[in-house]
Amino acid sequence: MPNRRPAAIVFAAGLAVIAAGTAGLLLTRHPTPALRAVAVGVAALPAPAGPIVAPPQSATPAPVARPVSLTIPLIGVQTKLITLGLTTSGALQVPSTTTVAGWYTGSPRPGAIGSAIIVGHIDSLSGPGVFYRLSELRRGDDVYVERADGTTAEFRVTSVQSYLKDQFPTQTVYGPTPDPELRLITCGGAFDPATGHYLSNIVVYATEVS
Amino acid sequence: MLLAALALSLGIPAAAASASSATTGTGWVRLAHLSPNTPPVDVYLYSFGNSTAQIVLHHVAYGTVSPYEAVNAGDYSVAMRASGASPSSQPVLSTSVTIEAGHAYTVAGMGPKSGLRLQVLDDQLTTPAGKSEVRVIQASLKQQTVKFTCGGQAIVPKATFASVSMYQAIPAGTWTMEAIGSGDTASQRYEMAAGTVHTMVILDGANGLELVNLVDAAGAGKPPAGGVTTGFGGTAGHGPGSPLPWLAVIGAGALVSVAGAVRLRRQPSAGI
Repeated sequence: MPNRRPAAIVFAAGLAVIAAGTAGLLLTRHPTPALRAVAVGVAALPAPAGPIVAPPQSATPAPVARPVSLTIPLIGVQTKLITLGLTTSGALQVPSTTTVAGWYTGSPRPGAIGSAIIVGHIDSLSGPGVFYRLSELRRGDDVYVERADGTTAEFRVTSVQSYLKDQFPTQTVYGPTPDPELRLITCGGAFDPATGHYLSNIVVYATEVS
Repeated sequence: MLLAALALSLGIPAAAASASSATTGTGWVRLAHLSPNTPPVDVYLYSFGNSTAQIVLHHVAYGTVSPYEAVNAGDYSVAMRASGASPSSQPVLSTSVTIEAGHAYTVAGMGPKSGLRLQVLDDQLTTPAGKSEVRVIQASLKQQTVKFTCGGQAIVPKATFASVSMYQAIPAGTWTMEAIGSGDTASQRYEMAAGTVHTMVILDGANGLELVNLVDAAGAGKPPAGGVTTGFGGTAGHGPGSPLPWLAVIGAGALVSVAGAVRLRRQPSAGI
């Protein structure tokens, strides 16, 4: 009488492997959640203490001192501002560390007429960067830029946009304006592990408060 | 010669819009009093069909130009009343202005008091690469006709009272601007940075002709190309990974169990 037991065991073992494979497949279908927002400092930082000066008149405007630091109370940003130029290919330089933001020296100084451009990282290889929570800003939120002469320019957010990098509207973001404005730029959208880059840029538009 | 190096060309008003405010549906307007013998006025800006003023400027004297105010695109009216007059009184002058998203306007009281009018000017925002742009408003009543020069070269040879020139592109740099009337001259050096747009206003000052340099707009002299690379992915969510290894396991299990089942069939049951 042939022994049926080995065949039955093979059959059962096959079913067990199918079950394990199915379980493994299902359990790994959920992406690892991204790190939660880290509140730097307390819920909201105080506005800077320096005197807030009015925007310039269009008639023979007074010169504006260079920017030294940036404060965005709502998202816990308080950083010094380094200076940035252009790369050899003509793109904006970015800060070499992810914990500070930088001002593009080829753009107007914050508080002078035109769009001042400030750039910061969303993250490093291991955690949040200075502009990690930038996309949480909404119309009406306050942004302060402190300047070398101790004065502060106060800006109010007018719009927050996300653009695919390969469709970045250069003229909209960097183009001229007749009043003092600010552009805060970081990365966002989907991350492409193949290239190590985010696919989009987040741009916050703000106008100086009169 | 330096003066000869000044290459001048006509401005390009077609490229006057700012793209950024077009995304938020706002434009800009500023208000000016440029009538030499008209006393100070109160200036009101009304959104069309709204009797409450959106902007009121009190006691605006000759030579005053307000900063730009961002307003929603749409139809507006501008009214001038004598300084201190009741807001409900009949205006001395009024005009309508259509504000397009991304465009800037100057609404100015111009001309002599006897022929005062409100003029709506389209203001330019952009310049050709590496250039600055200038236009001239002649608001001097004492010097009826003025020659306006930049670096010694006449950019408006004959500016008559209450006239507005077209914008002209000039090379970026520091230039001596001169307004030369029949009886008086005003001269001033100004830095005209690349990407900046200016309106030079010729005024009757307390001591003769005066120049005012209005900055209509400023952009980055050298705009960056494209977006920025400001992230390394340390906070990006990781994708679910490939399902292929698990599918292979399921496939192998299926093969094994099918093999087992086949062998079970081939072996007849004992005892039957």
